[in-house]
Amino acid sequence: MIGVRKFTRAQATAYGFLTVTLVFCLLPFVWVLLASIDPNASLFLQLPKGITADHFIKIFTAKNGARWFFNSLVTVGATTALVIIVAGMGGYALSRTHAWWKRPFLYAIILIRVLPPTALIVPLYKVMLMANGLMGVLVRSIVRPASVRSTMQIFGFVDGYLGLILVLTAMQLPLALWIIKTFFDLTPKDYEEAALMDGANVFQRIHRILVPLALPGLGAAGLLTFIGAWGDFLMPLTFISSADLQLLPIGLFRSFQRANTIDYGYLSALALLYMMPAVVAFGVARRFLVQTFSGGIKG
Amino acid sequence: MFMTYEARVAWQNQILLAPAFVLVACFILIPAGAAIYISFTNDALSGFAAAHPQFVGFKNYVRLLSDDGFWNSLVVTFCFVFGSSIVGQFVLGLAAAMALSRPIAFKSVFNAALLLPNAVPEVVAGFIWISMLAGGKNSTLSRIVGLIGIAPQNWLESVPLLMIIVVNTWRGIAFAMILMTSGLSAVSPEVYESARMDGATPRQIFWRITLPLLRPTILLYMLVSTAGTIAIFGLIYTLTRGGPAGATEIIGIYIYNQSFTAYQLGYGSAVAVIMLGISVAIGALYVRILKVQV
Repeated sequence: MIGVRKFTRAQATAYGFLTVTLVFCLLPFVWVLLASIDPNASLFLQLPKGITADHFIKIFTAKNGARWFFNSLVTVGATTALVIIVAGMGGYALSRTHAWWKRPFLYAIILIRVLPPTALIVPLYKVMLMANGLMGVLVRSIVRPASVRSTMQIFGFVDGYLGLILVLTAMQLPLALWIIKTFFDLTPKDYEEAALMDGANVFQRIHRILVPLALPGLGAAGLLTFIGAWGDFLMPLTFISSADLQLLPIGLFRSFQRANTIDYGYLSALALLYMMPAVVAFGVARRFLVQTFSGGIKG
Repeated sequence: MFMTYEARVAWQNQILLAPAFVLVACFILIPAGAAIYISFTNDALSGFAAAHPQFVGFKNYVRLLSDDGFWNSLVVTFCFVFGSSIVGQFVLGLAAAMALSRPIAFKSVFNAALLLPNAVPEVVAGFIWISMLAGGKNSTLSRIVGLIGIAPQNWLESVPLLMIIVVNTWRGIAFAMILMTSGLSAVSPEVYESARMDGATPRQIFWRITLPLLRPTILLYMLVSTAGTIAIFGLIYTLTRGGPAGATEIIGIYIYNQSFTAYQLGYGSAVAVIMLGISVAIGALYVRILKVQV
């Protein structure tokens, strides 16, 4: 009987603790949910007197929200695709090679992963300025003067998408390389060797054997890249200044920094729209999370 | 054509790895090296020094030693890391992992709720906490603590450092919980069973068995979480921008403000080099202590 009573008291403590923690975790979201449907939304948590979908409609009709969303989708989508391709190739090579540089390379990846982007941002800005200058010369020599500006918005390195995409890609690469390398380590080489025996060339082997085998690993790396790049704040803050190139996080941030005339209902709707893809991706990627943190540790 | 199979494979591997290497080199390694170089110059974002940066030797580092802003940022960084990742996230995450390792109803609901703060982008986290912590008697936190008789206030003005610690704890419980859950699941139930047979109390079991067996996981958590917490930018920037008066200016925010608000790239880079040094030291500890196999 004593054992039973102890058991229930421990259970009660567990439920009590979990409930308090649940409230702590969810309470901040209640405001953003309610404000997004409240016609009189304010900075403070309140029960809406009515329900409206206007704030969500406004995102796609009246204001910049849809453009920011689209801009984020394009840059982060391109980043994710690029990371999957580049890290897919690199991770495979890292897994299969026995060259002398394998171990130094892998240790370097661990060290690179701890470098804080804030500490790199100044020299990175310099690198980007230089690359932007070179790209400017190149672009001016190819396109008509009238379209230089719009071309640089796509191919520029400062206030242009190519630069932002490459920087975001580089930042997400170490983790993706690690995940994909670990994945290939667990994939038997027999299939490849069999295909090689049958005379498949390198492209056939990649297309028919490796990509299908690696799909879960590539998917995990892609999801985590998407989450990381989608939530990134520092890079778009530093490298994008034009209003029409603005990404969602910065658009949202600037809008609620304005001292007056903040449309809380609209911004709440926008914040919800912004967090949804990340939350969905996180939900799918959850089971891969442990291995990314503890990658490479035995026991 | 005359290469052996092995030579061709080795060559192929290098080609496959080349794009990743070039990207990381251009946007991470070269900037890290350039940070060291720029830290020895008086480079600036605008003005005369921007066009003609001069080599100034260790001047930036000497200035750093006597700069209150720099020391302040180190202290704030330490408090922030200690308060949120070492204490807040770890204690709550471990407790949540232990609670969820029991047979509990609605397990997936609790799990999802605890993971949600970690899944949302930093700007969204900042946005919703601005509402929670806003000034006046109508903000959510003021109303809650009003129940126990604490006066309403503008929380990000009166106790800013404590508030960003609370917000980051909120955001990071999931991370600690996920790691601790994986650590706990590796402990075999028989160990607990035999301890209970020997009459150990729950408290003894926790301190003598659970914690010691979790030690490698805890160490891993501490290192990864410390490195990650030092690197936080968006969460604090959206809430306070490092203010008021530097109260929440962790070292990364300090670098950003020195470089892009005060325009002093050379000095900002000197601070960045210190920060890189700290981070690499944590990374090296991680590799050495945990004996990472590659």
